[in-house]
Order: sequence, then C-alpha cells, then structure tokens
Amino acid sequence: MDFRLNEEQELIRSNMREFALKYVEPIAAEIDENARYPKEVIEKLADGGWMGMPFPTEYGGQGTDYLTYAIAVEELSRSCAATGFTMSVHTSLASMPINNYGNEEQKKKYLTPLAKGEHIGAFALTEPGAGTDVGAATTTALLDGDEYILNGTKTFCSNGPVADTFVTFAWTDKSAGPKGLSSFIIPKGTPGLTVGNHFMKMGIRASQTSEVVFKNCRVPKANLLGAEGSGMKIAMNCLDHGRIGIAAQAAGILQAALDESVSYSKQRIQFGKPISKNQAVQWWLVDMATDLNACRFMTYHAGWTKDQGQPFTKEASMAKLFCSEAVMKHTIKAVQIHGGYGYMKGVKVERLMRDAKITEIYEGSSEAQRMTIAGSILR
Amino acid sequence: MINIVSCFKWVIDEAYVRATSSGQIDLESVDYKISDYDRNAIEEAVIIKEKYGGDVTAVTVGSPEASKSIKNALSRGPDRAYFINDTSFADLEPSQTAAILADVIGAQIKYDLIICGEGSSDLYARQIGPRLAHKLGIPCICFVQKLEIKDNQIIAERRVEAGIEIITVPMPALVTVLSDINSPRVPGLKDTLAASKKPVVNIGKQDLSGNYDPKLETRETRAASLKRSCVKFGSEAQDVSGFVQALLKAGAIR
Ligand SMILES: Cc1cc2nc3c(=O)[nH]c(=O)nc-3n(C[C@H](O)[C@H](O)[C@H](O)COP(=O)(O)OP(=O)(O)OC[C@H]3O[C@@H](n4cnc5c(N)ncnc54)[C@H](O)[C@@H]3O)c2cc1C
Repeated sequence: MDFRLNEEQELIRSNMREFALKYVEPIAAEIDENARYPKEVIEKLADGGWMGMPFPTEYGGQGTDYLTYAIAVEELSRSCAATGFTMSVHTSLASMPINNYGNEEQKKKYLTPLAKGEHIGAFALTEPGAGTDVGAATTTALLDGDEYILNGTKTFCSNGPVADTFVTFAWTDKSAGPKGLSSFIIPKGTPGLTVGNHFMKMGIRASQTSEVVFKNCRVPKANLLGAEGSGMKIAMNCLDHGRIGIAAQAAGILQAALDESVSYSKQRIQFGKPISKNQAVQWWLVDMATDLNACRFMTYHAGWTKDQGQPFTKEASMAKLFCSEAVMKHTIKAVQIHGGYGYMKGVKVERLMRDAKITEIYEGSSEAQRMTIAGSILR
Repeated sequence: MINIVSCFKWVIDEAYVRATSSGQIDLESVDYKISDYDRNAIEEAVIIKEKYGGDVTAVTVGSPEASKSIKNALSRGPDRAYFINDTSFADLEPSQTAAILADVIGAQIKYDLIICGEGSSDLYARQIGPRLAHKLGIPCICFVQKLEIKDNQIIAERRVEAGIEIITVPMPALVTVLSDINSPRVPGLKDTLAASKKPVVNIGKQDLSGNYDPKLETRETRAASLKRSCVKFGSEAQDVSGFVQALLKAGAIR
C-alpha cells in the first residue's frame, strides 16, 4: 500500500492552488454576495485544460485519472465551493455520461467542446415531484418518426442558465418500470427548451441553478444517449462519479474552515491569551483536522477504486456521506471559533458554513447515500 | 532563435517558517517553492522565447530533495531542465552555487541570454547573477525591470536609485530581474502534464571537476524577534518633550 500522491498529482494540486489563490479567492466573497457566475474564471479554467480533466485527449480532454481530478476539485473548492461545483457538475454529471455512453459521433460533437471547456454542461434529472425518488419523474419522450418529443419540467438544474449542452432523462416507456427511462443530449437553443432564471440560494450562490422546461421539444433520434431504456443506469453512473466530486468539494471547504480557524484562534486574544490556548478550542481544531484526514483518504480511495476499474458505488457513497456531514459539523464549529465575527458577512467561515450545507443534499441526500450503502452491505 | 537559460532556486516558503518559544527557527512543517524573483526570471525567459523565437533551459543547483522543483519549473514554460544535485549541495553559499552553475552552463549549455532573479527569497544575497557572469566572462545587468532584444542586442531598463537607466549590450549576456518585470503566469493543467514529458539532464557531483569550497562558516541561526512596547503620553504641550525624550532613549531618533 502506498499512501503518497505521485509527483505529478502533487504538482497539479499546487498549481491549482496557485490558480485559485490568484483568480478565485479574491472574488469568492463578491460572487457569493451577488450570486454572480464567474465567467472569466471558468474561461481561464478552460484555457488551462481544467474543464475536461479525466477525458481522453482525442476528445479534447487531458487524460488524467479520476483521483487527480478529485484533487483539483478539492483545491478549487477550498477557495470557492461554487466554482469547484461548477467544474464538478460540468465534468462528472454532464460530460462523463457522454464519455461513458456516447457513440463516436456524439463524443465528437458534444464531448469534445465540453472537455475543452468551450461549452458548459448541465445535468437535468430532478423534477419538482421527483428528487430522491427518481422514478417519480414525469417527463416523457415520445418517438415520432426520426425525432423524440420531450415534455416535462426539470428543476434545480446546476449550470442550467449558462449551459450549452444538457443531459436529461425522460420516459420512453413508462410501463417498463426503471427500464423505461432514457437519456438525451439537448443542445441549448433547441426549440421547445426553456431555461428559467437562476434561483437565489443559501450557499454556493455563484453556481447557477434553474428550472429547465421541455414543451414539445423535438430532438433527433441521434440525441438519444445510450440505448433506449438505459437512462436509470446512466443517471446512477453519473451520480457515482459526481459523488466523488462532492466529497472532494466538501474536503476543500473543510480545509478552508480549518485554515481560517487555526489562524483566527491564534490571533484572537481573550482573557490575556490567544483563544487557541484553551483546550476546548484545541479539541475542536483537532477533531476538524482528524476528520479532514479521513475525508481525504475516503475521497482519494473512492477515486483510486474507480481508476482501478473496480466497482466504486459504495466507496463513492460513503465518501460523499462522510465528507458532507463532516464539513457541515465542522463549519458550524469554525463559525463558533470566530464568535460574533464569524457571523458577519465577508468573513470567510460565514460563507463556508452556508456552502457546506448543500453537500448533504445534492447528488443524493445523506439519507439517499445511507440507502445506497445499506443496499450494498445487506445484499 | 535565442538560447535562453534561466536559473532558479528551490527555497523554503517563508510563510511556513515559525519561531519556537526559545528563539529557534522551526522548519519542521515547511513547504518549498521556486524563489519569487526566479519565477519572474523563468517567466521573462518564456516571454522572450514567445516574442522572438528561441529555446529555454531552466537550471537549478540543490540537494536531491529539490527534484520536485524540476517539474514545477518546467510547468511554467521552459523546454528542458538541468538538475545539478548532490546531498552536499543543500545550503550552498552564493560563491559555490555560482561556481557550479558556471561550470555546467559554460561547458554544456548553449546560451545567448542568461536570466536570474535579482535575489533569492531565502538569503537575498544577490550574488549569483554577477558572480556567474564574471565567471563566464559576459556582461551583467542587474535590477532589470524591462527587457527587449533588437539586432542581437539586449536592451535593458534598470531601476536605479536616481531613476531609470537604459543599457544596450551585445549577446551573450546575463541579466537579473526584479518582480516588476512581469506577472508570472499560473501553469494550467495542460502545462503541468506537458512538464512530465520534457527532458531533464541530471548532473551529480561526480560529473563536476571543480573545487567548490565554502568561504563562510555558519555559527548559529536564530529567529528574529520583534519586541513591542506601548507607552502612553498626554496631549498637552509639555508632554511633547517627554515623547521626544522617550524616542531618544529608545534610539529611534538621534
Ligand atoms: C443547489 C442545488 C443544486 C442541484 N443541482 C442539481 C442538478 O444539477 N441536477 C439535478 O438533477 N438535480 C440537482 N439538484 C437536486 C438535488 O439532487 C435534490 O434536491 C436532491 O436529490 C433531493 O431531492 P429533493 O430536493 O426533491 O428532496 P426530497 O427527495 O423531497 O427529500 C426531502 C427529504 O426527505 C428525505 N428522504 C426522501 N426520501 C427518503 C427515504 N426514502 N428515506 C429517508 N429519507 C428520505 C431526503 O433525504 C430529504 O432529507 C440540486 C439541488 C440543489 C439544492
């Protein structure tokens, strides 16, 4: 067993850190406050090749392994969780299914500009009446000659307002149960596709989230992703990948919370000494650092398992569950360590605590992860 | 086609240096980085290559632990690296580093222009550039904040106390650069992955014939300490003389 990252992975981490400190950290509070999409940063990420890390170079990607991708998401999220999530949704939820299930033509046409970061991707699965219960979806896709006609409403679609390419899911045969769901690639501008305004959120406010409505939206048969009826399998595969990204995002937020808490507790003097001299505060910091270590190992292990070509559903679920709950717990403590100052806008831990919460909800809530893990250990 | 050499040093990131309560320097959990001005040196070499056509070789001298610096430097744009390393090459003096660099560059690397940082982030002795130029017998221009090449000549803008001095020298020559000269780019993933594929020449002590004896002896290293004191004065006219007396006593004014 070797717990070391290799030299290239270490350098990728440090170069992403350099990027984040130069371009992301200085604007993170502002884009949070204004719920602004940092287009200029995403373009710089694209220039650097960061928007298509784990995809083959022949389709515009950089051919890294998935573990290395997780490290980059972590390091970016350490400065801004919303920016890290934008990259993660684009990569693991929108581009990954085309990479894994797309045919040659779809990869050339859709994956290549996505992997180069020239296009931004979104993943529209959730519906107003179908969150955890994916099967309750009502969006349909009827075959009419050479075209499918999509009707239905998707919600909470991250990157929706800025996306060029949507991967979505609709019933081609409602009577077939889970085997009746199919996946489609829908380019922006397709008649019948409307993207709503972006929702105002508690955290990751710079990430753009919206409704996506299909009203008699016609797409050619060529836009069916994978075989008809394989939608559920594709969705679950995307989410397995995505969860490693969310685990990494949570680890990044937690590292930032620890950085802030260590430095503040050493500076803040009460009763004539830094508050870090109190054992109570030290133990909070210790628990934070210990869980951070566990978060990293679980996330990297899940990534590594995927890179080995092994099944990784359980590992990804466990990492996502553990990291998201750890970061929520500890960002609350980070605010506590900052006292009243931690409750003020513009103080980083205030944003970290709001950003942390979403990691327990999206790409499968903590409860959904527990259902997945229970399923695999009670088999 | 200009052959450019940029020299860099792998140094402790000063942000991680701590002083212990007994006044020692704690290097237990430090991280390393390419010295700040050397990043400008590498960046300037790459800018000149992009602008005029050329080829950049990055060179460093250090202990084998500095191997991490090689890919790091290469991700910033140079075409190849020379890694001159030996366990005895940690904490070299400027005179030793310059002598080693001169031996390797002089014998093995084609150069028209050598770019060094003005000084390293750790010692800031500012000797490598001038010493290296002297040993190679080429002109040396320090404190450079702007660089141009025209008709095989280097036109350098130097920041000197009285203003700006513009100097023209024929190549080959050496310049040392200040941080104002450019803003080093942040390597992207593509640059980082490309770095792994670039050639690296490893040179050990056994490949060098020179004698690089130290000239200095380090007796002790201690953390700098800053003592603060807080004295309050009144705001009446007669309090001013008390204030002046206190400054005189503290040696703040004479
Ligand atoms: C900011 C944001 C971004 C998002 N981005 C995307 C995106 O890009 N694409 C996309 O498709 N979706 C996206 N989502 C949707 C997200 O994945 C869902 O919100 C999530 O799956 C939960 O669904 P829900 O909100 O409908 O909650 P519900 O499913 O209604 O759940 C409500 C609560 O009940 C619990 N619960 C539900 N069922 C069970 C059960 N069987 N046992 C125990 N507890 C249960 C849940 O855990 C949760 O606590 C996003 C959501 C948000 C908030």
